[in-house]
Amino acid sequence: MSEAREQHLDELREIVAEVLEVEPEEITETGSFVEEHEADSLRAIEILARIEKKYKIDIPQAKTMLRTVSPADWGRTSLFAAAAARLAVEDSGIDQELLSAAAAGSSIGTTSGESQVIEQLTAEWVHEGLSGITPAYAAQVPASRLANAVNQELGLSGEAVTLSTACSASNYALGYAYDQILTGDADYMIAGGADSVCRWAHAGFYRLGALTEKVCSPFDKDRSGILTGEGGAALFLETLESATARGAHIYAEVLGYGLNCDANHMVAPDPVSIAECMRRAHRNAGISPADVDYICAHGTGTPANDTMEAKAVVEVFGERPPPISSIKSMLGHTMGAASGFGAIASALALDEGFLPPTTNYRTPDPGMPGIDPVPNESRPARPKVVQNNGFAFGGNNAITILGQVA
Amino acid sequence: MNATATAPGVSPDAPRPHDTLRDGTLAITGWGVVSSLAIGADEFTTAVGAGRSGLRDVTGMFDEELPEDEAFAMPDFRVRDHLGRKGTSFFDRSTSLALLGCTLALDDTDLLVTDDNRDRVGIVLGTTAGSIKATSDYSRETLVNDRPYLVNPVLFPNTVMNCAAGQSAIWHKLKGVNATIAGGQLAGLSALRYARNQIRRGYADALLVGSVEEFSPHTAWFAHRQHSEWEGRARVGEGSAVFMVEDAATVREAGRQPDAEVLAVEAGTYGPPGRSPDAGEGLANCVLRALKRAGVEPSEVRAVASGECGIAPLDDVERRGVEGALGTEVWHVRAKEWVGECQSAAGSLQLAALLAGHRGHPELDGAVSVVTSVSADGSVGAAVLRGWHRGRRADRS
Repeated sequence: MSEAREQHLDELREIVAEVLEVEPEEITETGSFVEEHEADSLRAIEILARIEKKYKIDIPQAKTMLRTVSPADWGRTSLFAAAAARLAVEDSGIDQELLSAAAAGSSIGTTSGESQVIEQLTAEWVHEGLSGITPAYAAQVPASRLANAVNQELGLSGEAVTLSTACSASNYALGYAYDQILTGDADYMIAGGADSVCRWAHAGFYRLGALTEKVCSPFDKDRSGILTGEGGAALFLETLESATARGAHIYAEVLGYGLNCDANHMVAPDPVSIAECMRRAHRNAGISPADVDYICAHGTGTPANDTMEAKAVVEVFGERPPPISSIKSMLGHTMGAASGFGAIASALALDEGFLPPTTNYRTPDPGMPGIDPVPNESRPARPKVVQNNGFAFGGNNAITILGQVA
Repeated sequence: MNATATAPGVSPDAPRPHDTLRDGTLAITGWGVVSSLAIGADEFTTAVGAGRSGLRDVTGMFDEELPEDEAFAMPDFRVRDHLGRKGTSFFDRSTSLALLGCTLALDDTDLLVTDDNRDRVGIVLGTTAGSIKATSDYSRETLVNDRPYLVNPVLFPNTVMNCAAGQSAIWHKLKGVNATIAGGQLAGLSALRYARNQIRRGYADALLVGSVEEFSPHTAWFAHRQHSEWEGRARVGEGSAVFMVEDAATVREAGRQPDAEVLAVEAGTYGPPGRSPDAGEGLANCVLRALKRAGVEPSEVRAVASGECGIAPLDDVERRGVEGALGTEVWHVRAKEWVGECQSAAGSLQLAALLAGHRGHPELDGAVSVVTSVSADGSVGAAVLRGWHRGRRADRS
């Protein structure tokens, strides 16, 4: 091998090592290293982006998801938010230039914002003291950057608001976006949420006894807790007139939402308060409980949550409530993104005609009779109105109602 | 004076498809401030009037070394001194500052919160990233303990950003809308804008709206490592400012006298300083949009409480934005000179500084002012308000 080629390889190895946070010597082309890292597409994009920058060359693959924001300048959660928003806009088919010129903004929900950035800074604190922290990481700490990343990525000049109401935050975001459109404050809104897995949250849930050892099996008699998850979810919102006029594929209509607060306990859910939140959502959407064909549950898979959620559902819907399933059985608990994923699942259920399943379901819980969790396999159905539940630490309940376009 | 928080003629149980639309004008009927300058609206008003500074010696405030000996912090602040020992021992500093701000605002308003209206009274708080110290301390435990999971479960809720709003709701039993906005420099204005939507749409009748930031070795070093080249910048600070916000028309109809009416709040997103699209021009448009919405001419604006902080690229954006919309004659109120750079609490403290100006000065009744905020990430915001002095109304007690 020539010396120049050797040097290039060393440089590339350094870039890869930096992004993957490993020693350059650990990088090999085979075995466990590849297995461990091959699924991480965002880091792969970041590696390509850094190679692009260093050698001043153009690599189209470096921009497959994000076209504007540079992965090196943003924390992982902001990148999830921006990437999801980019995908949502592409899926919507809206003209990019029209979107940028319009009154358009974003509302993004999160639990822990740039948790991995804070973890990185904490590691620097432990190893070098706070005086040794990296300024660029400090600049990435504000969670406001999640929505900022969305607006920067898409060139939106409207409001960028990050709602940090923990695990119901995406429903807050969707509700806010709905109001922005309804009142004419905005013509288009991106609504969703993002979060990254992090060590401290994992440790915290573990110590609360909320983490399952094996699988997440919501509504099962033997359910034993959550699995932490991560990602970004985004929905593109506009008025029905606008969507119809441009011949867009309309997945669902946002009918309304409801918010309230337990004001009782930081972590224990309160079924009376949750039931009241459902009633608020129904009132706002102009529906009654009998109109709801399916409930996309908060369904974390902890004994407490599912029991309390089922109790609230029975209180509002009676002994025979509509089917209620938890997609967290498949995605894990993506925290602030969770009700965003729930809204997407709800929209797909309405659009494609099915009910998403609760996987890993084995044994009915005699403590919640009448609950139909759509066990293990999706069910063909024609839901017209869907309720998407989101609950959170702090007693921050948020429920959105989506419906088929009449 | 007593007031119910239920809109007249609307039963909370009646079906209301697409709840009533109010006009979005908000009344501020009371407020509370916790800052290095003063604690309480009256005390803050006096301190602002006297031109005092909240800069304090902070050496010895923490075990960790600090980058600077002085900050706009409260080394002696202990929440138990204000709210008692019971139930407060596990609160992080952000939660303590926010809860006290909410408590002071509730004491200052003539709205009575009772079992009849607490379902329609809530909280909207702005933050940067919650209690960064509580979160980082928790994260640190996973690194330095014998096992990574040997963390204290009781402190886990302190790592979520909605801890302050959630705990404040529990403390005051406020079961209405409870929201946390991670807005950084824009947090105060974003919280106000969020609250405006909630009240306008009829989802809530009264909201404690404000923002909070704590001082810690983390926030001090984060700022120092990023901005130390700007020697004249405002030193880092901490505090909270919380406002009791209600639908203005409802307050007027009840014959109640607000401290101020928030006529409009607008926000936008542009490039970071020096990058396109220009945030200075964006801010000017944002101020003009807010004035238009408020039905106010630029020439009617008496004062602007800006967020200028001594970091030139950011100040340049704000100065050009304000001048572009309001010209060079408008009076600048620079609250950061007295309360420091309180990040997410900044916008609310700027608003509090304007209210302090009104509180003891009847000659300023009806005057219009503007609050502006800009962030390093290209966010800009502006609020327009009209204020009156306190003392026109009978005290609740």
